[in-house]
Amino acid sequence: MTRDHHQRVIWTIGGGKGGSGKSFITTNIGICLSKLGARVILIDADLGGANLHTFLGILPPGPTLSDFIKKRVSHLKEALIHTGVPNLQLLTGAQDLLNAADAKSAQKRKLLRSIKSLESDYILVDLGGGNALSVLDFFLMSDGGILVATPEPTSIENTYRFLKSAFYRRLRQAVSSFSAKSLIDEAMDRKNEAGIRTPYELLREVRRINEEDGRKMVEEAATFHPNLILNQVRSKKDIEIGFSIRSACQKYFGIQLHYLGYIVYDQDVGNSIRKRRPLVLENYRSKAAQCVSEIASRLADSHRMPHGI
Amino acid sequence: MKRIEEQTHYEILEVSPDADLKEIQRAYDHAKETFHADSPAIYSLFSEEEMRKIQAAIEEAYRVLMDEALRKSYHQSHSHLIERSSSEKQTEKSVKSSEIKSSLSFTDLSIEVGEMTYRGRSLKQIREKLGIDLKAISAKTKINIKTLELIEEEDLEHLPAMVYLKGFLKAYARALNLDAQKLIEGYFELFKEKGKK
Ligand SMILES: Nc1ncnc2c1ncn2[C@@H]1O[C@H](COP(=O)(O)OP(=O)(O)OP(=O)(O)O)[C@@H](O)[C@H]1O
Ligand SMILES: [Mg+2]
Repeated sequence: MTRDHHQRVIWTIGGGKGGSGKSFITTNIGICLSKLGARVILIDADLGGANLHTFLGILPPGPTLSDFIKKRVSHLKEALIHTGVPNLQLLTGAQDLLNAADAKSAQKRKLLRSIKSLESDYILVDLGGGNALSVLDFFLMSDGGILVATPEPTSIENTYRFLKSAFYRRLRQAVSSFSAKSLIDEAMDRKNEAGIRTPYELLREVRRINEEDGRKMVEEAATFHPNLILNQVRSKKDIEIGFSIRSACQKYFGIQLHYLGYIVYDQDVGNSIRKRRPLVLENYRSKAAQCVSEIASRLADSHRMPHGI
Repeated sequence: MKRIEEQTHYEILEVSPDADLKEIQRAYDHAKETFHADSPAIYSLFSEEEMRKIQAAIEEAYRVLMDEALRKSYHQSHSHLIERSSSEKQTEKSVKSSEIKSSLSFTDLSIEVGEMTYRGRSLKQIREKLGIDLKAISAKTKINIKTLELIEEEDLEHLPAMVYLKGFLKAYARALNLDAQKLIEGYFELFKEKGKK
């Protein structure tokens, strides 16, 4: 895929359990990027609880992405909603796309292309909390996948579960033999009969049946770089958990996770949501807003580096 | 993708093959902090047996890499593995270290890796492992040697009260490139344990 000088970088925000702060972060990072002068589109692809419009303080949207899919609007850009924030537009209804778990991946790729053809610099997709296959696909197809976790074990456990599903799905797409694919499917089940409990054991088994596919797995692991934002941190110790998660991923999956940053727990977040005013507009000086804006700047920076998820 | 058994000492501690002793010390502190039973970051990933294996690998890596002679002979016997992995990861590492720095210096919650605190004795240990003598620290910090010794010996009787001591601790920790806050916290604990003050 070629990129013109208008790099439309797609970031997906997902993983973690409900309430970790994905929608809050998507909205506010989007606004920060737009304030940096970039054109930004937010896409709400949360299956059950599309609510980015509420974070932005606008009414539930009229036209949606599904209107486009169903051809009620002829151009995807007609489904874009103005948010009142300069440079920032919203697209909702992507859940219908993700819902169609059986949608062919070629179809999804096509939609991804039409999303990428929108006039924009950054596209941020809120994937919600699920890990349906199509959510994983979207995560894997984007330029950068961002996991949002909080320092609680429940949230971390969910993040790992999502990561494992995404990782195995990526491996599954990379290997070519049917037997390797079915081994990976089997390994997804924690109590599988083959007794595969870790990615390494999976690799060992795959190597045994197909050397070439084993090589591909190693290659995929080396190029898989998901990102992590740790939200609602309350202490230095919490912040360090992000670094520890990175190390744990390196040891367990053999992948390099990128710790994008943390956001402190801050009452002002809830206050701004109750007012239906985005935090970075309502209270830019708050600690959480500072953290978000720091992360946004880092994202704006990072696409100058070779990145790829 | 390498199993624990296949990783070099450098990979185990996530440091580059030319890491200096300070970096290794920090990496070790971080690894200890990450791979212990109560660490939330390992929750649901590793079995007890896997954890023991990782912990043993961390200790072994630390033991070897902190010892000049052992490290040298390890480097020789494993040169093929070490060079390959370092060239593979070079670009990644440079990104990583800048990433750590930028993360560390953001908002007022500046942090460092690892949870443990430092005290006088651990400071001395680290200093000796780094091969720095007290004179050099004294020259750098403008703190007289006697005071530095008292700090290392944790001689609370003869040390000034915490309000005055803080500045010294800060300077000393910085001279070793350590998180000053951790040393101060460590000393607070000491005072608490010894009662009063
Ligand atoms: N940094 C923070 N400090 C304080 N509260 C926060 C913070 N981040 C999020 N919250 C609170 O958590 C709630 C959930 O946030 P949000 O709706 O963004 O989560 P989500 O991950 O999108 O959830 P879901 O998966 O259900 O869509 C918010 O209503 C907000 O009050
Ligand atoms: Mg949400």
